[in-house]
Amino acid sequence: MSTLAEIDVERQGGTVVARLAGEVDMTNAGHVRDELLVAVPNDVLALVVDLEGCRYLDSAAIEVVFDISRRLQRRRQELRLVVPDSSPLGRVLELTEVSSVAAVHSTLESALAQ
Amino acid sequence: MAELGQRALAGVDLDELIAGAADLAARELGTEHVSLLELTADGLGLVVRGGHGFPDGVVGGVLGAGTDQLPGYALHADGPVIIDDFAAETRFGPSALQRDLGAVSAMAAPIGARGRQFGVIEALSPTTQRFSRDDAHFLQAVANVIGAAAERARHEEEVRDSEARFRELADTTPALMWMTDAEGDVTFVNKGWLRFTGSELQEDLGDTFGMSAHPEDRDDLLTRWRDAFARRSELRFEYRLMDSDGDYRWVLEVGTPRFARGEFVGYVGTATEIHERKQMEDALRKSEASFRDLADTVPVMIWTTDERGLVTFVNAGWLAYTGTTLDEELGDSWAFGVHPEDAPAVVAAWHDGLARRAVWDREYRLRASGGEYRWVADRGVPRFEGRQFIGYVGTAIDIHERKNMEAQLREVYEREHTIAETLQRSLLPERLPRIEGLEIAARYLPAGQGAAIGGDWYDALERPDGRVALVVGDVVGHGLRAAAVMGQLRNAFRAYGLAESSPAEVMAKVNRLVMTGEEDVMATALYLVLDRETGDVWFASAGHPPPLMLAADGAHFLEGGRAVPIGAVDQSVFREATAVLPKDGSLLLYTDGLVERRDEPLEQRLDALAETADRAEGGLEGLCDAVLAGVIGQRMPNDDVALLAVRPRPVATESIHFTLPAEPESLPGLRRRLARFLHAAGADDAETYEITLTVCEAAGNAIEHAYGPGDATFDVEASFHADELVATVSDRGHWRERRGTHRGRGLNIIEGLMDQVEVSTEQGGTVVRMSRRLGRTRAA
Repeated sequence: MSTLAEIDVERQGGTVVARLAGEVDMTNAGHVRDELLVAVPNDVLALVVDLEGCRYLDSAAIEVVFDISRRLQRRRQELRLVVPDSSPLGRVLELTEVSSVAAVHSTLESALAQ
Repeated sequence: MAELGQRALAGVDLDELIAGAADLAARELGTEHVSLLELTADGLGLVVRGGHGFPDGVVGGVLGAGTDQLPGYALHADGPVIIDDFAAETRFGPSALQRDLGAVSAMAAPIGARGRQFGVIEALSPTTQRFSRDDAHFLQAVANVIGAAAERARHEEEVRDSEARFRELADTTPALMWMTDAEGDVTFVNKGWLRFTGSELQEDLGDTFGMSAHPEDRDDLLTRWRDAFARRSELRFEYRLMDSDGDYRWVLEVGTPRFARGEFVGYVGTATEIHERKQMEDALRKSEASFRDLADTVPVMIWTTDERGLVTFVNAGWLAYTGTTLDEELGDSWAFGVHPEDAPAVVAAWHDGLARRAVWDREYRLRASGGEYRWVADRGVPRFEGRQFIGYVGTAIDIHERKNMEAQLREVYEREHTIAETLQRSLLPERLPRIEGLEIAARYLPAGQGAAIGGDWYDALERPDGRVALVVGDVVGHGLRAAAVMGQLRNAFRAYGLAESSPAEVMAKVNRLVMTGEEDVMATALYLVLDRETGDVWFASAGHPPPLMLAADGAHFLEGGRAVPIGAVDQSVFREATAVLPKDGSLLLYTDGLVERRDEPLEQRLDALAETADRAEGGLEGLCDAVLAGVIGQRMPNDDVALLAVRPRPVATESIHFTLPAEPESLPGLRRRLARFLHAAGADDAETYEITLTVCEAAGNAIEHAYGPGDATFDVEASFHADELVATVSDRGHWRERRGTHRGRGLNIIEGLMDQVEVSTEQGGTVVRMSRRLGRTRAA
């Protein structure tokens, strides 16, 4: 339903890749969280959220990352993020210490190779 | 959504449609309950017409329609009403139903146009749910489909009623009346007609037009009839009609085309006896003496004047009508009997005609002996003795019944026209969307009176990638159906326009949607995407006239990107063309009602448009006015005209300031405005994101702490002092202590990304002042 963000989910073996494009803020963070969570069945090992097409994340969106990571951890599943070097998001993710709950990769290939 | 719309257009039963809409809304919004409420006839209650997720017995129940509860409040709202939590809601309380269900969050949208409200659609959630702006748009779209379907059902009933009423009324008037279908076959003649002709109803139905006319008149009548019929124009013809005794009497036949839901459905006509008038004219041609003898023996009203226009004679028929004496009528006192509203124009026209010795032919209201005013058709011809003008001779006929019928019919058609127009207006954006950095002006001009409304539309929306999509289109056909199809297409362009970035792909998807529908739909459209910063334009045309680009070097049309109309071919290939809009340039999109005219080649009309637009002054509003005045002129357009003009606004570089509603939905727009401002000042992508984020985090705090929903606002100011950006966010609430990790992160972001941050309490509100120098990476 959201027009700010689009999510495209694809399963690749034991991993679910979710491409998140557009903007996530307090108006749609709840929707994005729900959509990502239902995209991850019990039998996969990891969720890779590709933020290459993402232009904006606010603190509510970052909170969603922490929340998803917590929920996945309980199911022994892993959360990985793809953030290209050229992404404007880099510094904010660093500042909020997202790397403490999710491995941050600069390419999708490296995130899948792990 | 599209399927719901198609079913509405196919005329699916309203209850079935409502049930489908409730299920669709519950599924798409993910809410447990959806109800559709219809306003009761007395306007005091709301009946639950249908719902999703309710126990038995709820549907059919009645709720209060007071504005102190959500349903009544939403009924009178301009758009969707969102309630995050009923406990914190101050505008109204929940309805009994919502209380029973334990609803926490809700969203409700009004169904039906303002002043013709049908009811309300509500989505209820027993847990906290945050509805987004898109959710709200979606719910309103569902409401609009139901509203249009309800309006259509109501309209069909009205037409049925008014046709039945018309037949009933037609049978009580002494006038001769008839109706035909769209093939020209007679489908109805009234009792007056049957009495006159002495025939049975069955004999007169079918392909019988003109059968009772005098053999000498019949060919002319049929020629005129076929000609009028082919052009759907009014028929007026005097001929001799056979009466019940087998005698021929002169009648004046007037036939008017009629339309239902924009489709031509046939003619309705009246025949008025003018036999006496004709006889008088004949008698007068023979001799004055036989005229006077005859004049007093016929029931028609007759008068003569002298060369100054003063009445010298009225016959017994006239005096019987007016209840006056001959002396009273002589001279110039006849005008006293004319209805005060008609008198000034009638007297002026009489003197004007007299001066020119012109034939006098006028319908007006004349006081009858009982004191009431009745319509008469008054007709006079100048008389000459040798070459000497000696005055007028005239006759008047009581046409009151005919006039009344005409008024009745006009009312029926006007209601039809009004409903179609209302529906169309309700489907057009009420206000143009406010798009940051884009000036927009639009005009919608319905076709002239009597013509059925068309299916033109325009729309503008902001895409998630920051570009703007514009569309104008024109559904083939007229009336309610065209207006309803227009609503569907407009929604389809909105939905695909948001999801697809390529104009050709948007066209292809809309076409595919149309081709899978059951109804035959054909439309032309021009879809264009504009980058406000760079001026890059991408566009595709489906059989639509080219957009006009206005720049310092003149006006020219954007050619290319052309394909067949939507709905023409199953697997249409749509093309896309590009252009660059120069700085300070404008774009004008329009529908072909502006440039199409039978009497002039299209090329010439396009040239005239370009010329007029190029000369226009006064910004976009002035451009629209000038184009309408210059290209359409004073005449009413034959077809609807829609205009949409846009121009990217120059970006402020010194400072910006806005006051925004304290609600999360303000944030995406605020981000775009800030991003444009920062880009214009030379900030790179990362700087733009980081500064935008910090300002929006501060704004997020202001929104969360705003007291009471509704009126609260917050202010954002940003300015550059050399290369240092200073931004201030101020509200009228107090920040609470940091609570939860989420808010804490928000403040960390603000402090981490700015060079300096100051939070202070001023005048009962909180002010956050932030600054950051551009062009250097701050030490972590």
